[in-house]
Amino acid sequence: MLGLAKGLKYTLKQLTREKVTYDYPNKPLPLPDRFRGIQKFYPEKCIVCNQCMNICPTECIDLVGKKHPDPTKKGKIIDTYDINFEICILCDLCTEVCPTEAIIMTNNFELAEYSRDRLFKNLEWLDENDENVRSVNKP
Amino acid sequence: MLRTEEMLLNVGPQHPSTHGVFRLVIKIDGEIIKEAKPVIGYLHRGTEKLAENLQYTQIIPYTDRLDYLSAMTNNYVLCHAVETMMGTQIPERAEYLRVLAMELGRVASHLVWWGTFLLDIGAVSPFLYAFREREMIINMLNELSGARLTFNYMRVGGVKWDAPEGWIEKVRDFVPYMREQLEGYHYLVSGNEIFINRVKGVGRYTKEDALNYSLSGVNLRSTGVKWDLRKDEPYSIYNRFNFDVPVHDGGDAWARYQLRLAEIEESLKIIEQAVEQFPAEGEILAKVPKIIKAPKGEAFVRIESPRGEIGCYIASDGKKEPYRLKFRRPSFYNLQILPKLLKGENIANLIAILGAIDIVLGEVDG
Repeated sequence: MLGLAKGLKYTLKQLTREKVTYDYPNKPLPLPDRFRGIQKFYPEKCIVCNQCMNICPTECIDLVGKKHPDPTKKGKIIDTYDINFEICILCDLCTEVCPTEAIIMTNNFELAEYSRDRLFKNLEWLDENDENVRSVNKP
Repeated sequence: MLRTEEMLLNVGPQHPSTHGVFRLVIKIDGEIIKEAKPVIGYLHRGTEKLAENLQYTQIIPYTDRLDYLSAMTNNYVLCHAVETMMGTQIPERAEYLRVLAMELGRVASHLVWWGTFLLDIGAVSPFLYAFREREMIINMLNELSGARLTFNYMRVGGVKWDAPEGWIEKVRDFVPYMREQLEGYHYLVSGNEIFINRVKGVGRYTKEDALNYSLSGVNLRSTGVKWDLRKDEPYSIYNRFNFDVPVHDGGDAWARYQLRLAEIEESLKIIEQAVEQFPAEGEILAKVPKIIKAPKGEAFVRIESPRGEIGCYIASDGKKEPYRLKFRRPSFYNLQILPKLLKGENIANLIAILGAIDIVLGEVDG
């Protein structure tokens, strides 16, 4: 019986403790800067090096480049850039290999959609996704 | 005389007490289990086969998804295997960050076990307390790696991120707090007569059984075998820390309960010492080539995960992908003793016995 009483005492003591839950989704969840959420893409920084596409473990990135419109300039610029969030595991490897930091993680993690098609994000969508962008991208 | 008939009962795969998608087909005679047949593979993703087409860095996020309660140890075992093959020297600071992350993960993992085990056998409030403390650890690891469970934190040659500002202090403050809470847990549960009667003598096996079934971790130590790879085959920098390996000779669920709580205490000791010895500055990643190629040959390494010995075997033909990768997943091996333990048991003990083994289905199914 003594053990039971001790346990009950512990439970009663917890009553006065501060609550530990968050009022999510009414208030945004506090997240650290490094948190890995949906990527933000800067088309003007991209040099079409294909490294993000090659490192992706689930092959969810698809990109196509085109010739620079200005004939005096070398290299390519980005034409289409798609991430399929049906299979993206937010592993952060694409932002790690990007030499120009054209792709960066944000703190936005709410990916749920009513339709699978909407999980397919294109260049425009990723470009507009510019809230809560990670401030320090590389260690 | 009342005549009873044998009956087949399916437990799972969608059953909250099987901790995932584990299915058990049991033949019962009244309340007594005559035969139990585990059916596994519902969460099989073929990690080992997938890895054959992936670069070593790309495999790391997949290891997170094996034992998802302590992903840091899985990260480590893969990196450790590749580093062993390449002969890489890991910087001091990276080693300390790895140990801190792994030990915090071990505490978090044992807390989940403690909460869910008691939930399984009918006590709801310990689960809430355990998750309150676990949430603090998860938040710390989130600050460090950027994810709450699938960390993808370690890299071949070191770690991805350095500790953020104030993180080490946070870990230091967490240790005394957790010790105090642990004492509370003992108050709440360990002395409870109902609980003790419920688990004492349940799921008992001998030392010989444990060794024959190649059990490891707490499941082995609960039979009196003092075997912990952190002590017996020190890897990383574990030989610098002073800690004990708790053993018990009960061989039952009560022994395993006590050992897991004692292990939290030992992990806190390691964390405390690691924080003290933490180098003020230094590199976090060794000089490794951008595309990692393990030299031709093979290697097998094993480390102590919260569930037992986790091993990683790599056969490489010198390319950037492994030729063959194999994980020795402790949950899978520990689960094999279940049919033997369940034979002749009362059906009410089924969940207590399964819970005490501590399996993670992501790891069982691979």
